[in-house]
Amino acid sequence: MDADLQQALRAGELLGTRYALQLPTVAASGWIGSRMGRRTGSSIDFQDYREYQPGDDLRFIDWGIYARTDRLSVKLFREEVTPHLDLILDGSRSMSLAGTAKAQATARLAAILASAAANAQCSQAVWLTGEGFHRLPNDTLPPSAWNRLEFNSLRAPDQSLAIFPPKFRHLGLRVLISDLLFPAPPLPLLLRLRDGAAALFVIQLLARDDATPPEHGNLRVVDSETGAESEIYIDASLAKQYAENLAQLQQGWADACRQCGAHLTTLIAEDLDDSLRELEAIQLLTPA
Amino acid sequence: MIPFLTYPLALLALATLPTLTAIYLLRNRFKRRQVSSLLLWHFNVPSKSGGAKVHRLQLPLIFFFELLALALLVIAAAGPHWKLPQSARPLIVVLDDSFSLRATRDQVSAQARAQAFLEKLYRHQPPPTTQLILAGTEPRALGGTVKTWREAAALLPQWQCAAPTATLDAAITLAGETGRQQANILVLTDHRPADEKITNPRLEWHAFGATTENFAIVNASRTTFGEQDRCLLEVANFANGARPTTLFVQTEANAPQSSALLLSAGETKRIVFNLPAATPALHAWLEADALAEDNGVQLLPPLRKRVRVQVALADENLSALANRTLAATGLRAAISENPELVIHATDTVANSNSWSLCWAGGGTNAFTGPFVVDNAHPLAAGLGLAGVIWAGRTTTNTPGEVPVILAGNVPLLSAREDALGRQHLTLNFNPSLATLQNTPDWPIVFWNLLQWRIAEMPGLNENNARLGAEVILKTTGEAVTITQPDGVVKTFPKTGGELAIATPVPGIYSVAAGTSTNLLAVNALAADESDLSACASGQWGKWGEATERRLAEASAIWIFGLLALALLTTHLWLIAGGKGAK
Repeated sequence: MDADLQQALRAGELLGTRYALQLPTVAASGWIGSRMGRRTGSSIDFQDYREYQPGDDLRFIDWGIYARTDRLSVKLFREEVTPHLDLILDGSRSMSLAGTAKAQATARLAAILASAAANAQCSQAVWLTGEGFHRLPNDTLPPSAWNRLEFNSLRAPDQSLAIFPPKFRHLGLRVLISDLLFPAPPLPLLLRLRDGAAALFVIQLLARDDATPPEHGNLRVVDSETGAESEIYIDASLAKQYAENLAQLQQGWADACRQCGAHLTTLIAEDLDDSLRELEAIQLLTPA
Repeated sequence: MIPFLTYPLALLALATLPTLTAIYLLRNRFKRRQVSSLLLWHFNVPSKSGGAKVHRLQLPLIFFFELLALALLVIAAAGPHWKLPQSARPLIVVLDDSFSLRATRDQVSAQARAQAFLEKLYRHQPPPTTQLILAGTEPRALGGTVKTWREAAALLPQWQCAAPTATLDAAITLAGETGRQQANILVLTDHRPADEKITNPRLEWHAFGATTENFAIVNASRTTFGEQDRCLLEVANFANGARPTTLFVQTEANAPQSSALLLSAGETKRIVFNLPAATPALHAWLEADALAEDNGVQLLPPLRKRVRVQVALADENLSALANRTLAATGLRAAISENPELVIHATDTVANSNSWSLCWAGGGTNAFTGPFVVDNAHPLAAGLGLAGVIWAGRTTTNTPGEVPVILAGNVPLLSAREDALGRQHLTLNFNPSLATLQNTPDWPIVFWNLLQWRIAEMPGLNENNARLGAEVILKTTGEAVTITQPDGVVKTFPKTGGELAIATPVPGIYSVAAGTSTNLLAVNALAADESDLSACASGQWGKWGEATERRLAEASAIWIFGLLALALLTTHLWLIAGGKGAK
């Protein structure tokens, strides 16, 4: 794995310790863990009483109530669960656009989220798109232990989803980090990701060059994924049209997110540290 | 054909070519930029100057026009020349200007045939440059160098063929010097060359004459003969056999008098007759023949200039001798007022216009010779002084006086010119002890003296002249206007006392000097030109092939300039039509 990415993971891990993942209520489910779930369980926190049903554990019969009312009642306690974060990283080549800090920012953001999830006693899984959805080796460990984080896929996330779909944990928190610069319609992809998730956050991570209208002059633009080229003379009208194209793309994703209940935010890779407040704004992170 | 450059440093301007190329390359270069996706780069407006999507360099058409025009201009500025083999050398045409070329054959003169030949030569083998030289009484360049037939034809009207002779040899020499032995020389005349084997490889001799029978008046004069005028006419027959002709003579408005003449081959007949002195101009002519110029003459009454002489000698013997001698010359005017010559014994002051002859009659030394005579002096013309005894005083020359006749170191006759141009003569002669007055030399001295005085008097020195002769006009500094028979008027605003009048055409000249107007008759009298028996047609000599081709420096600036202009015009058209950027 690239040394810069390794360094970014370490830095993100360190930065993420200041934050905790802000879990929605519906996400309080999962495997037995140390965090209160929303259902009854085996924790020591009392939740309710109900009549004894055959098969209930006799240890939870409240004998005091039986003595006063001659009715068998059992105590119910809240369950302790471990929430889960599914971190989906766009592994296409556009995420490591040459001359930009896009790849490092992706790694750094993923590490921040993973570290924040750990602070929130969440388990985590890191999915990297490519020839299908694949988990990163050691993704359950702290980010500095992750391996094979590479952005060299020629597939867009929607194509990866079609090739080898992931097995996300039910009611887990899912976060997609991508530049969203692929031509597929966003809604089908978002519906697939949103399915069975407690919440879906879509973080569009753009390089500044992606977000800024190009300078005037002759440009031979090369697609970082397909290698296709186009020679264009940029003037004021085309620069404006570029900005309009970007706004239109973002609007399309925003509309799709709104339809499926996902949250969308856009970050600039070069200004990542200053943009973390955006993640607080969409209630993904909270200061630890 | 290797071109060379006049200003090779101008090639430094070729540095503009890579500069222009760099400008276009920088302007048209596509900055490569890798983007995340082309998703955002799909625009509705196509690129204006982005070129195709192929990776070769796209440069507009106008760039190549500008590049080429720039290169051409730089080369033109460098002044390219190259040496090209010229098809012909510069041409110098020697034109025989004598009037024999006016002789006609089949109604066409030799001059017209020569001119037609020249035009044909220009049409088929145009020389790069042409210089015309007239071979008249003296060779004369006709205008400057011309390049086209139209320019040459504009000069040809000056070729009038009116000269009494043609100095062809001198003209050919002048042509050789003018052409620096590099130019081809073409002689256009009416007779064959003296040496028909022409060795000069750059000389071609073309004759357009023809042997033609011709009568001509070859000599004509009208001189004073006492109180009458004596006329002399010489008529020559230049035919191969005896031919008749008629001579007509007319004076003023009288009916012409004719006389039939029969002259054998080559015979010249002299006709002499007298006319009253008061008879005005005489016109004599022959029947029309091939050459009209020599068929007629006009003779004006001869000038009868006389000198007013005042004899102021106290010695009666001397005075009588002087008067008798002056009368014998026939040049003394009847009156003596306002004298033009004063003969005196002492140094009397002469008037403003008169010359003086101081005759010192004393002296008893008789000189028998030898006498030293300045034969170049006007007074000494015809003097012999053989056996003459000259008596006079033994004296020495006065400073400023030029001795004309000396006996040893004793001046016998001397002359001095004063500041006003008057001559003051001193005659050291005592007739009582001499024999000079009894010899023909004595009246000769006086005739020379009066003739000299006449020659220095204002006006023409003759009024009947041959064609081409220079006629001297004495003036007192006033303006002179000369009207030629062909209408040409020449004005001389200031003359220096003497003016030589050229007579290029025959006819009556009008010479106005101050308030007086004199007439001058000029007649074409040249037996050599009138003799058409030696005229011929043909070509002698030929320009050598080797001399036809020579390397001449030819400037190629105009070629590059024109090409650049054409390119820039096309460039402008492309720009205006909006096609240059495609």
